[in-house]
Parts: sequence; structure tokens; C-alpha cells
Amino acid sequence: MTIASLTRDRLIGLGVLALLVLGWQLLSVAFPQEIVPGVPMVPGWEKVFTTTFVSISRYWPGGWGFGSVATGEQPGYFYALLAIIYHSSFTFLRLLVGLLIGSALGISLGLAVSWSAWGRRLVNLPMQFLRVLPLLALLPLFQVWFGLSFLGEVIFVGYGVGVIFFAATINAVSNVPDVYVENSRTFGASQWRTYRTVILPAILPELHSAVLLALGAAWSAVLGSEFLGAQSGLGYILVYSQAYGFLDRMFFIALLVVLFASGSFLIVNRLLGHATRWAR
Amino acid sequence: MSLDNNTLTKQDPALPGSAIAPRPSRLRWPQSFDPLAIVGILMLVALWYVLAPIVPHSALPPLHSVVQTMFEKFWFHRTFAFYGLVDTGFFSALIYTIENVLMAVVLGGFIGIVAGLVTARSSLARAAIDPIALTLGTVPILIASPFLLLWLGGDRSSAVAMVGFYVAVMLYTYAQRAADNLDPVYESAARTYGASRGRILRNILIPGTLPEILGGIRIALAGAWGLEAIAELLASQRGLGKLIESISASSDIKTLLAALLLLGLTAALFDMIVALIFSQLTRWRHTARLAVSPR
Amino acid sequence: MNTSPQIALDAQAVSRGYHRRDGAIINALSDVTLTINSGEFVCIVGPSGCGKSTLLQICAGLNMPTSGTLLANGKPVTGPGPDRGVVFQKDSVFPWMSVIDNVEYGLACRGVPAAERRKIALHYLAQVGLADVAQAWPRELSGGMLKRVAIAAVFANGSDILLLDEPFGALDYVTRHKIHDVLLSLWDESERAKRTVVFVTHDVDEALTLADRILVMRGGLVIDDLRVDSTRPRDEESLSEHEMVVLKRRMLDHLGIGHGMGRAAE
Repeated sequence: MTIASLTRDRLIGLGVLALLVLGWQLLSVAFPQEIVPGVPMVPGWEKVFTTTFVSISRYWPGGWGFGSVATGEQPGYFYALLAIIYHSSFTFLRLLVGLLIGSALGISLGLAVSWSAWGRRLVNLPMQFLRVLPLLALLPLFQVWFGLSFLGEVIFVGYGVGVIFFAATINAVSNVPDVYVENSRTFGASQWRTYRTVILPAILPELHSAVLLALGAAWSAVLGSEFLGAQSGLGYILVYSQAYGFLDRMFFIALLVVLFASGSFLIVNRLLGHATRWAR
Repeated sequence: MSLDNNTLTKQDPALPGSAIAPRPSRLRWPQSFDPLAIVGILMLVALWYVLAPIVPHSALPPLHSVVQTMFEKFWFHRTFAFYGLVDTGFFSALIYTIENVLMAVVLGGFIGIVAGLVTARSSLARAAIDPIALTLGTVPILIASPFLLLWLGGDRSSAVAMVGFYVAVMLYTYAQRAADNLDPVYESAARTYGASRGRILRNILIPGTLPEILGGIRIALAGAWGLEAIAELLASQRGLGKLIESISASSDIKTLLAALLLLGLTAALFDMIVALIFSQLTRWRHTARLAVSPR
Repeated sequence: MNTSPQIALDAQAVSRGYHRRDGAIINALSDVTLTINSGEFVCIVGPSGCGKSTLLQICAGLNMPTSGTLLANGKPVTGPGPDRGVVFQKDSVFPWMSVIDNVEYGLACRGVPAAERRKIALHYLAQVGLADVAQAWPRELSGGMLKRVAIAAVFANGSDILLLDEPFGALDYVTRHKIHDVLLSLWDESERAKRTVVFVTHDVDEALTLADRILVMRGGLVIDDLRVDSTRPRDEESLSEHEMVVLKRRMLDHLGIGHGMGRAAE
């Protein structure tokens, strides 16, 4: 791969992006219909960052010393920004707390089970079943069990993430080359010490892919729970505006989600790469 | 490395092919069957029964009653009719869901695999499509659901489109990676034999990438069930997802669990079938044993 | 055998350069000119990086020269083809096809009818001693057996020119020894004119065992062209004959090892 071809590839990528942006604009010109007066079906870029942006301010529920559109304030960029910050925070909160709980529980349970060979063999088949059980279908169940609350949503996300880490940890531990463990034992290390200093670091590279999988699952879980009964969050705005057919707002929020999701993947990838920079 | 009793023992190349026992061609279990695994399942069942008296009945009804409900409401249940559902029993709802998932997997799979293979061999196509696919791969596909609903309406097409899209993006990455990982010596060798481009595609690229792609299909299928379920949950008149939505509104936990159990079993069944097909199609591989060795 | 020998491979001023990251050009091959006659068994020896594999790849058509011309049987080489069969260093036997399907593959590509190509394939499989495993999967065979399959396939395809790129490097000593016999006996078939063989190796003894002619390469250039006239089969004794020892010494000197100390042929 020469330098010339690398730059060429990047240029092509940018070119495609530019084409998409242009294409969208053309579409908005081709379909100028409005769903509701003032709400275009395909909002051109000039609309997206002005009218649409401003209309988001209607989702700001008020508080923090500021009023809201509902109580008579004028919709504007400021309230729109507040709305975005407010709802994005909820989405991110659900995401992060769920990820933390799920990863902590999943990894520790996985390690505990892997401690003995019997544990692994016992857990294998039930775990396979859990893995295949569709996460998103379980949402109503969790809602019946835990109600439509922040706790319920976080537990749901945690469950999805936990199953992934549980399975991945067990798999990763069983893949640690025997020589590393034997080497540690010949130095006189106890099983506990071996676990801490050999197995834990050794499974990190393999958990890399599990983390990315879990991140994807967490996003789906968060969005899903926001679609179905949450009262805040980006998913909530999306579904709420969909109910009224506000395609432009949906598009705006979708852009935000795309931005946040790909951004989160980039950041996580960087962090993981740093943590496992010793790996091949 | 374990020796499979299907493997011929490696022989001294000096002896011109000594007597070799004929290989029996029989079905191979995708996983080596560990009796302890059954104990594991029984443990899970036992756990269920242990929790049942502790947890209120409304949250965790006993397993046998859930299973019983599953069978009762399989063909027809008047409550479903009462709700005005098109699917008056688990069965017809299940068939609808299965149909959608299969359609999505076939359509999305085809597109994804072709695109993946093409971009692996054409750097121009790759530079154009990769950035899009990569971004889309990180975005939760669920985001498309409200849009598809508005554009295509709440019937099958929006669900199949969403699930199909997910499968396409997944298999795109799997197919591309598989083609990238295929040792170039095979294609070089084929060219020295005078193979045409079509032959290289048919005889080399496709069989060579098949194992990895099949693995991807299995994983994509697992995710497809959940996406289909939630698509139906959100806005459909039919299917298991719709059933689940109606039941959860009434807080009939027994029937809800029954529906979920049915979905889980279906997903597991299909997973086993695909795994079986997989192992049959790739008998030529060095298959790694899936049983974990006790440490 | 008869009049003037035909030229199988004709290279004229063949060069192959590669661009380095900083823009400099590295020449894997510099102005190589040589001719190989039909029926010759030529070994190319040299240290790693001398360009011998690159030269072979260009003959095979899997790589293109940056300047110069290469003719195979009088026709310019533009790409790989069945007239120049290749045995690769890596395992190139297709794992998803049975052994016999692998051997037949070249014939199938050219539309030879099934019954005929099966006959040909079985003939060559028998020649390499693998008739019993015709229906086996490649994964069931050892490394040496797979090499024999590759050789059978290339012979079955009827290529006039055979190009082998360090094919036996991964095999153990005994296996290599036995496979040399297999290769030579296939090459020396009496039913047809001998094929041209170009065999790349870094193993000096292997070259002495197999070749009519040895080309020594270094730094992208052919620095010596040695004739080996000893009769085949060449065993330990023949390798310790005076002329052979001289040849070996000369090669080792070219390679920069062995200060004229003849080592007993191993």
C-alpha cells in the first residue's frame, strides 16, 4: 500500500461523503412537500441547522432555573441546546451505567465460573441458550418486572452487556495458552495470584472485541428502552416526533445518535488499543 | 491438538499410501456432547424453581405452568382473538416472524456477501463503500426503525428492511474479512492452472471464504431475531413481537414468559440447524474442538 | 537429443524495481539476461533477498518486470497460464477439494472431459505414490504428501515448463530426500520429451542433487552459471566426487560462507 493509494482512498471516502450530503440536498429540493405546514418531509441542510434545530427546544422540560417552551418561553437555539444536553445526558447515563454494571458483573461471574473446570462445563449449555435469546425481545419482560424506571432501563442494558461479557470471559480464559499458566505455576504462584497476574491481562486482547460488541448491544438496548416507555433520552424524542410525523426532527436526532455512537466506538477503540498495546 | 477418529494418521511418505481405513461419512455434532451440559440445564431449571416461592408469583411463575401455557396457546387462544389480533395463537405469529427473519437474512445476506467479496478484491469499491459500512456498523440499527415506519408503513416491509439492513452490514464485514484472510496462494495457483475469473470466484473465493461467512450468518441470525421482535413490538399487526406487546400490556406474565420461551427455543433451534449445515458444508476444515479442556 | 535445443525461457535485461516509502527504488532484479533450453533442469540458488523468487514469479507471470522482456516458448509472458506450472512454497492444495479433484483441476479448467481427466490424474497420483488417498481431504495428509499432490497436479496439467519456488523447504530431511526421487522420476518420463524445470532453492546440496545447471544469484544479479554433468541418481557418494566438491565450494564462496573447506555432502 503506497502513500499515494492511501491518500487516494481517503479522498474517495470524502468524495462519497460529499456525494451523500449533496444527494440529500437534492432530495430535499425534489421533495419539497411538507408533512405539516412548516415541517418539510426531507429537510435540506439549510433547514436542518436552523428551523429543525430550533424546534428541538420544545423537548426541554424546564428546570435548572430556566423556563420552557411549554410555559411560554420563546423557542430558540438556547433552549434547543438545553434540550439536547438534557436528553443526551440521559441516554449516555443509561449507556454508561448499564455498561459498567454489565461488564463488572459479567466479567467477575465469568472469572468465577472459570475458576474450576467443572464450572465451565456446567455453565456452557445454559450460556449458549442465553446468548441466542434475543435481547431486544426481552424488553417488555424487564418492563413488567422492573417497571418503566431508570433502574429498569439500566438493568436491561446491564443484562445485555453482562451476557456478552460473561460468555466472552469464559471463552477468553479457556483460550489462554496453557504455557502461561504452567509457567506461572512453576514459579510457585498460587491459583489466585495466577488469576490476577497472568489470566487477567492475558484475556484483555480477546475481550477487546467483546467490548465493542457490548457497546453495540448497549446502544441498541438503550435506544430500545427509550423507544418503549422512557420519558427522556434521544430515543424518546425520536419516537415522540415520529408519532407526529416530524421527519425533520427525527433526522436531526438521528444525526446526533450517529455522531455519538460512532464517536463512542472511536473513543473506546482508542482506549482499548492503549490498554492492550503490548499485544501483537 | 486432538485427533478426531475421522483423521487418517499421518504416514511415512516413503510408504506409497498404506492401507487406510475408509472414512465413515456420518453427521457430526456441532459441539462435542458433554453430559455435564445437561446437568447445567437442569441446574438452571432448578434455579427457576428455587426462586419461584421467594419471588412473587406475578414475576416468576413456575416453569411447568409456563411450558403448559406455551402448549395451550399454541394453536388458538381466545384471549388473543379478544385483543383483536390477527394471530390467534402462538403458531401463526411464530410463522410470520420466522418468515420475516428468513427473508431478511436471505436478502440482506446476499447483498452483504456480494458487496463484501467485491470490495475485498477491488480497492476502488472498497474505498467508496468501506467508510459508509463502517459508520453504519457502529450505529444501532434500531435508529432506522422510526424512519422505515414512516416511509414503508407498519407491515412486513419495514421490519424486513431493517433486519435485512442489519444482516447486510454484518455479513459485509464478515465476507470482506474472510476474503482478505484467504491465502493469496490459492488464487495464484488457480491462475497458473489457467482458471478463468468465473472459475476463480466459484472454485476458490467462495469455498475458501465459506467457513468464515457461515460463522457470520450464524451470528447475524441470532441478532436478527431480536431486531425482528422489536420491530414487530413497535409497530406491527402480526408476529410474535406484536403478541408480546399485547400481552405485556395486560401484565399476564405467564403468557409473556411462554411467548419469550418460544422465541428463545426457536432461535436456539435455528442456530443448531445452521451450525449443523455449517459443519456439513465445511467437512474439509481443520475443525477445532469446542469442548473446553479442564485446567 | 536431436538438432539445436529449443529455448524454453528467454529473459532479456529483466529488471524489477520497488518503490520504497521515501521514494527510493530498490531493485529486486537488475538487468537479468539468461536463456534456459527445453528439457533442462535448472536450479537457482542464492541467499534470501537475492531475487531468485522474484525471477521465478516473473517467469510464472505472477509478477511483471519493470523493464526487459521475458519469452516463454517464444511467446511473451503476460500472465500465469497452464504452460508454466508452478509448485509454490506454501501449501497451495485447495483444502475444500479432495485430492483427486485438486490434481484434475487444471484439466477441468481447460474443459477436458471427466473420464479422461480422472484417468490422467490417477496416473500421476500413482506415480507419486498417493493413489490410495485420491478421495481424501487435504487436511488428512501430511506436509510431504501435500507436496506430492501439488507435484502430481502440475505434471497432470501437462505444463511444459515447471517452476518450483523452494517447494521442499518445510519438509524434514528424510522426506525431502524421498521427494527428490519422486520429482526426478516424473521428470525423466520416457514417453515424452523432458519438461523444462526451474527450481529455486537456498539449499546448495539440493541443487547439486537435482540440477543439470545451477544459476547462482546475488543482489538481483546472476553471478554464476555452473554445469553439473554427474549422472543421476546422485547419492552421497556422487556428491563427494571431486567435481561436485569443487562446484559446491564455488557456490559456497559465492554465498559468502565456507572458506574453501569442502564439507562432506550431507
